[in-house]
Amino acid sequence: MNTTNLKPKVRFEMQTLLLAGILVFLLLFFGLNDQGFLAGRSISSMAIQLPEIGILSLAMMITVMIGGINLSINATANLAAVLSGLFILRFMPESQGPMVIVAMVGISLLIGVITGAINGFLVGYVGVPSILATLATMSIFTGIGVGLTKGQTVTGFPEVVGSVASLSPLGIPMPFLVFVGITVIAYILLGRTTFGFKTRMLGTNPVASKFSGINNKAVIMQIFIFSGVLSSIAGVLIMSRTMSASNAYGTATYVMLTILIGVLAGVVSGKGSVLNIFITVFILQVISTGSHMLLAGVRGSSFFKDFAWGVLLIIIFIINYFTHGRRKE
Amino acid sequence: MLKKIVKSSEFVTFTIIVLLSLIIGIINPAFFSLATVFDVLRASIVVSIMAFGLLLVIIAGGIDISFVAFAALASYGTHMFLLSRGYNGGIFLYYAIACVIGLGAGLLSGLIVTRFNLPIFDVSLAMMTMWYGFIRFFIGSTKNFKLPEGAVGYYSRFLVTVRDPFVGEAGLHFSILYVLIIGVLIHCLLKYTTLGRGIYAMGGNREVAIRSGFNIKGTLLVVFGILGVLSAFAGVTHSFLSRHFEPTLFMTQNLDVIAAVILGGASVTGGKGSVLGTFMGVILIQLINRAMVLTGITVEWQQLMIGLVLAFFISIPAIRDLINKRASRAVEVPEEI
Repeated sequence: MNTTNLKPKVRFEMQTLLLAGILVFLLLFFGLNDQGFLAGRSISSMAIQLPEIGILSLAMMITVMIGGINLSINATANLAAVLSGLFILRFMPESQGPMVIVAMVGISLLIGVITGAINGFLVGYVGVPSILATLATMSIFTGIGVGLTKGQTVTGFPEVVGSVASLSPLGIPMPFLVFVGITVIAYILLGRTTFGFKTRMLGTNPVASKFSGINNKAVIMQIFIFSGVLSSIAGVLIMSRTMSASNAYGTATYVMLTILIGVLAGVVSGKGSVLNIFITVFILQVISTGSHMLLAGVRGSSFFKDFAWGVLLIIIFIINYFTHGRRKE
Repeated sequence: MLKKIVKSSEFVTFTIIVLLSLIIGIINPAFFSLATVFDVLRASIVVSIMAFGLLLVIIAGGIDISFVAFAALASYGTHMFLLSRGYNGGIFLYYAIACVIGLGAGLLSGLIVTRFNLPIFDVSLAMMTMWYGFIRFFIGSTKNFKLPEGAVGYYSRFLVTVRDPFVGEAGLHFSILYVLIIGVLIHCLLKYTTLGRGIYAMGGNREVAIRSGFNIKGTLLVVFGILGVLSAFAGVTHSFLSRHFEPTLFMTQNLDVIAAVILGGASVTGGKGSVLGTFMGVILIQLINRAMVLTGITVEWQQLMIGLVLAFFISIPAIRDLINKRASRAVEVPEEI
């Protein structure tokens, strides 16, 4: 039996090279056309915005890898922020100590586990298609937050809440370090453990995985809990950066954006690369920041990036088609 | 025969609708009125038309999320073009131009999917992002309330009106006829034409459909063309009913339409679904939305209740499948995750 196939080799796939090439090209293009683009300020502002969407993209990716989808990631992030925010305001409004951070992170992670378990139960054990199950839970999670806050934005946190986003050890913003850390953890979990193998197995062929003795339901449950926890971490970062918690934050754009990133990174059922997600998040952020700076002053300039993302996606599909040959779906 | 009807997914959806109506009616007797029926129907017109187009794609085994962008592009694009020309006539020209734009946008998606052998979902995601960006960057990014004179009064052109003790006069908008006509056409297409059988065949088993001689690529192109035209039609109808045109029309509503189609008995993996079921799925979603107001739940808790009710109803078919499988002692295998 050829056991080498069971372990993913460290090698760069075609997609990774292609994405890296696009990133370099875009950096050069915007760097040469706009003097301010490669300046320290625009880079550090990118490094603070990008981790939230990057972590949410990982949360989306792992559910797509098992052939599902998680539409409730953004709702989970907001619910984690709202509930931990309300807790801090109620029980430690004046405190500036590290206990505030502990409470914020602890409650958020707990929310991530609970919401993930609800999704996992509906999808894995009841058997509801994940697109419907998470559509419903998206409404439930948002609804809990709206009910508790009466639709208002929660603000007035102690200063220390903002420190997670504003600290920058060694000159690198803390959110970015968190993103890198989570990317490494996700890479090891998905690429180097039996859990990762089961995930890819389930995504490739649920029937084969079932008859190989894998507990599909348990894997689905674990994946959704993992997804929930990642979402709640993104919630902590958003809360710390904006110093507020709102149920409406990012609802119109974040879910679609994470699916877009996943598709661009080549994530399909049974297959997905954490490294590709990492590069793709950069590409999108560079297009967004770059086109914003280049088109400053043009009417509706902030919408050009949407157009560019869509066109880029189609171009990558077509490049993939010609490089992979006539691949079957 | 009766057993077959009772076991069908349309019957399950229908039962749920009746049960939900009874519950709402017991809590608030004002629910049982023609005005409510008209209101639910009016809210279902636009969603149904889009859902019928989407149904074809879902039966063919794909999920499209870009149809909302087709609707926005066709309606807003047509409006801004005619507005710049100083057009002041009736609505027919609106429908004609919008349907051509919708057809073009649909065929473009279809061509990319078939030529490059790509998953429908991926292409539709790219197209949705691209079209909404295109509309707001190249056409305009603000709502427009200036209607042509020929269209004034369209929103209140009723088929029948009744006196209602609670809401005064209530009418059924005549565009419900569109739903009826389009529904019958799509139903006939699916049931009585080779093309329709081909759509079911490719969603059920693509390989078998190809071996049986169905023209998969041609069929998909037609499906996308219809999706584009119906989305454009729905977009224009909605804009006239709500008396304004917006660049981000339906932007966040695509998932609701998908939910309606799947609640109506279509399978996420393709090969299953019907026009009647889809229409009932749309009605059910509208009922769930209205149940909150009618049963007097306060505004801030409504979204939670909608979510809980939705979670409950989407679990019913899954639980029914679980019980069926247990009963037949078949090996339990997940169909869709």
